[in-house]
Amino acid sequence: MKNNEIEPKKIMPETTQKEINDLKPTLQAASEQIIAQTIARLKKATPNRPKELEYFDDMANLFGTRIKELEQAKAEGKKIVGYNCIFAPLELILASGAIPVRINSGWYDTAKLGDRVVPVEVCSIIRSTIGAKMIELSSFLELSDVLITVLTCDGMTKLSEVLGGYKEVWRLSNPRVKDSGQALKFWNDEIKQIKINLEKLTGNKITVKNLKPAILKTQRATKAFRRLQDLRKDGVVISGQDAMLVTQTFMWDDIDRWTEKTNILCDELERRVQEKEWICPADTPRVMVTGTPMFWPDNWKLPSLVEEGNPRGILVADELCSSERIIYDPVGVDEWTMNDMLTAISERYLMACTCPCFTSQDGNEDRINWLLTKIKDHKVQGVIYYVTRGCMLYAMEYTTVKRALDKINIPVYYLDTDYTREDAGQLKTRVEAFLEMLTAQIDI
Amino acid sequence: MTQQQQQQEGNAFWRWQEYSRVLPGKSWVSGDVITAGVDVGSVGSKAAVLVNGEIYSWGITRTGSNSPDSAVKALNCALKDTGLKQSDLKYIVGTGYGRVNISFAHKALTEIACHAKGANYIWGPQVRTVLDVGGQDIKAIKCDDTGRVVSFLMNDKCAAGTGRGMEVFADLLKVPIEETGEMSLRVTEEPPSVSCTCVAFAKTEAVGLLRRGWSKEKVLAAYTKAMAVRMGNLIKRVGLEPELVITGGQSKNIGVVSRVEAALGVKCLPMPNWREGGLDPMIAGALGAAIFAKALYDKNQNTQQQ
Repeated sequence: MKNNEIEPKKIMPETTQKEINDLKPTLQAASEQIIAQTIARLKKATPNRPKELEYFDDMANLFGTRIKELEQAKAEGKKIVGYNCIFAPLELILASGAIPVRINSGWYDTAKLGDRVVPVEVCSIIRSTIGAKMIELSSFLELSDVLITVLTCDGMTKLSEVLGGYKEVWRLSNPRVKDSGQALKFWNDEIKQIKINLEKLTGNKITVKNLKPAILKTQRATKAFRRLQDLRKDGVVISGQDAMLVTQTFMWDDIDRWTEKTNILCDELERRVQEKEWICPADTPRVMVTGTPMFWPDNWKLPSLVEEGNPRGILVADELCSSERIIYDPVGVDEWTMNDMLTAISERYLMACTCPCFTSQDGNEDRINWLLTKIKDHKVQGVIYYVTRGCMLYAMEYTTVKRALDKINIPVYYLDTDYTREDAGQLKTRVEAFLEMLTAQIDI
Repeated sequence: MTQQQQQQEGNAFWRWQEYSRVLPGKSWVSGDVITAGVDVGSVGSKAAVLVNGEIYSWGITRTGSNSPDSAVKALNCALKDTGLKQSDLKYIVGTGYGRVNISFAHKALTEIACHAKGANYIWGPQVRTVLDVGGQDIKAIKCDDTGRVVSFLMNDKCAAGTGRGMEVFADLLKVPIEETGEMSLRVTEEPPSVSCTCVAFAKTEAVGLLRRGWSKEKVLAAYTKAMAVRMGNLIKRVGLEPELVITGGQSKNIGVVSRVEAALGVKCLPMPNWREGGLDPMIAGALGAAIFAKALYDKNQNTQQQ
C-alpha cells in the first residue's frame, strides 16, 4: 500500500448534475419507503418482537439521524473513514479520532446504474456501490474523507480504482495464504502504513494512550456482539432478520452507543429466555446462511423469504462478513505496548478471518471449522449457501463446503441470485422447498 | 385439432391438447374422503382428484393470464363428468408457480415436494431421481422411498431448456408441439447441439441453420439435444440415482427423454401408458398435492378427535 498523492484519474463517465438531481431524490424516496416497509414487515413477522429493537429500527434509516450526526462531527473537524471490508482496522481509525463507516451498497436500483460502467457479470455489490457513487446516494460514502479498500477479490481491487476517481483511497493488500512468516510480516506492514496515513489525515498521533482505549472499545463491542449470538443457540427469542439488523447497524452507528444498546437488547432477550417467551414454535426449522455478504436495505430478500415464507424457517446463525463475522473476534493483547498492540490488531484481522479469499494446503479450512462449530452450537438443521452474481470466490468454495456438510448430514442448498427483485418468485419456490424438506410437517 | 385448424389459428403450433379423464371402473359415494391437488404452472394448470387417497380423475388445461382463474379452470376440468362439486372436496392443496393465488386451496406446498410425492405414487417406491421439466423451469429432485425430497436443484431463472422453449421452437418450425419429439428423432445422424439453450438466442441460431439448408428434423434434434444436455447436467449436479423418472409436459417428448437417457447412460423407468388408462406424468405435481391434501385432512381429523 502506498500513499495516494497522485491526482486521481476518473474511470467513471461523468454523471451530469441534472441526472443526479433527477435520480437521487427519486431513489432516496423509494429507498426510504422500502426501509419503512421492511421494518413494518419485521414487526408483523414477529408479533412479540423484543421492544429494545426499536433503537435499531431507527438506526436502520440510512437517511436519518446518523447522517446528521456525521455531518455535525465533520463540521467539528472530525474525519470520516469509509471502508468496504471488515479487514479495515477499526481500532486504529478510532484511536486517531476518526469515525469508521462501512460503505458497501445494498441498493438494487443503483446496481442498474453501475451497469453503465462495468459489465453485468461483475459482482452485484460492486455494481451497486458504483451506482450509488454515480448519483451520490450514500451519505456514508459521500461524507468519507478517505476510503479503505481491501483487495480481497477482483471486484474489490478494481472498485478501488473506480472510487479512486472521487476519493483518496488507501489500498490494503491482504495475503492469500495466512500462515507463513512473510504473510504476517507483510500484513503487519500494511496495517502500520494505515496508522501512518491516519495520523497524517487527522493530525493526531496514534499512541499507547489512545490506542489502548480504542482496543478496549472494540473488545466491549465484540463482547456485546457475541452475547447476542450466544442468545441464538437455543430457544428462539430473536428472529434472524432482527439479529441481522442489529449487526448491520454496527457498520455505521457510533460504536459505544451501539454496544450499549446491544447490551440493553441482550438484557431483554435474557429475560425472555428466563420467561420462555419464544418468538416461534419449537419445531420451526433452524437455518443458517453462509456466502456472499448481504446488505441492508434492499438485499434483504433471502432472510425475509426464509422467515416470512410458507413454511416458515428461522435463521439462527450466519457466516456472513456483513453480519455475524463483523466483530466476532476480539483483539487479544498480551502487553499494552505499541508494538504488541499493533501485532495483535493485524493478527486478529488476518488470522481469524474466514473469507474465501484465503487458501492453503487444506483449502480455506478456517471457514469450514467456523461453519461446523456454528452448526453444532446453534443446532442448525439446514444451510443455505447464498451467492450473488459475479461472486467467484464464494461460488467456487461451495463444493468444498458441501462436501464437509454432507459428512455431518446437514442439507445445504445453493441459492444464486442478483441485485434484482425479478427472481423473487423462483427464489420463494426454492427456499420453501428447502424448508419443506427440513420440516417434518408434511410427512405422511 | 387438425393441422389445418391450427394453421387457421395462426401461429398456434405450440398449442397442446387440454383434456380431462375419469378413471374407468372407479366411483365415489358420499362419505368418501375426496381431496384434490391443483398445480398452477407457468404454462399448464393441472388438477387431480383422489377418492380415499386413490386417484380418481384429473384435468390438464393451459394456464391463462391469471392464476386464480387458471386454478378454477383446471379444477373444473378434473371434476368434469364426475358428478362432484368443489364443495365435495374435503381438502385442497395448491402447488406450482401460481400456488399462492389459489384462493380455494387450504394450503400451498411447493411443486418440488409435490412432484416427488406424485412420482412416488405413479412409479412406486423405487423412484429416486425425478426430473420435472416444467413450462419455465426444470428441477432435478432426489427423493427417498416415501417420495420425500432429499435434495433438489432448479435451473437458472430463464426459459432455457424448458417446455416454453420447446413451444417457441414448435412455432418457429411450424410443427405441432406433440410431434416435435418424434420428429427430432427422424435424423440419420445426431447433429451437434445448438450452442445456446437461451430461447432468444437459440431461435436466432435455428433461423440461421434453416437458411443454411438444415431440415426441420435436424434443427429440432440439435435443440432437443442441447436441452437434454442441460437437464442431464442438472441431474448430475444433484447426484443421479438410476431410478430416474421424468415428469411435467416434456416427459411426453420422446426426443427429450431418449436424449436425457443417452446423456446420463441410464434408462428412465417405463412411462405409464397415459393414453389408455395409465397415469399421465404431467399430473405428478397435482397428484402429489392431492396426496398431501389427503394426509393433511387425516391429520386434522385426528387432531380434532384428540
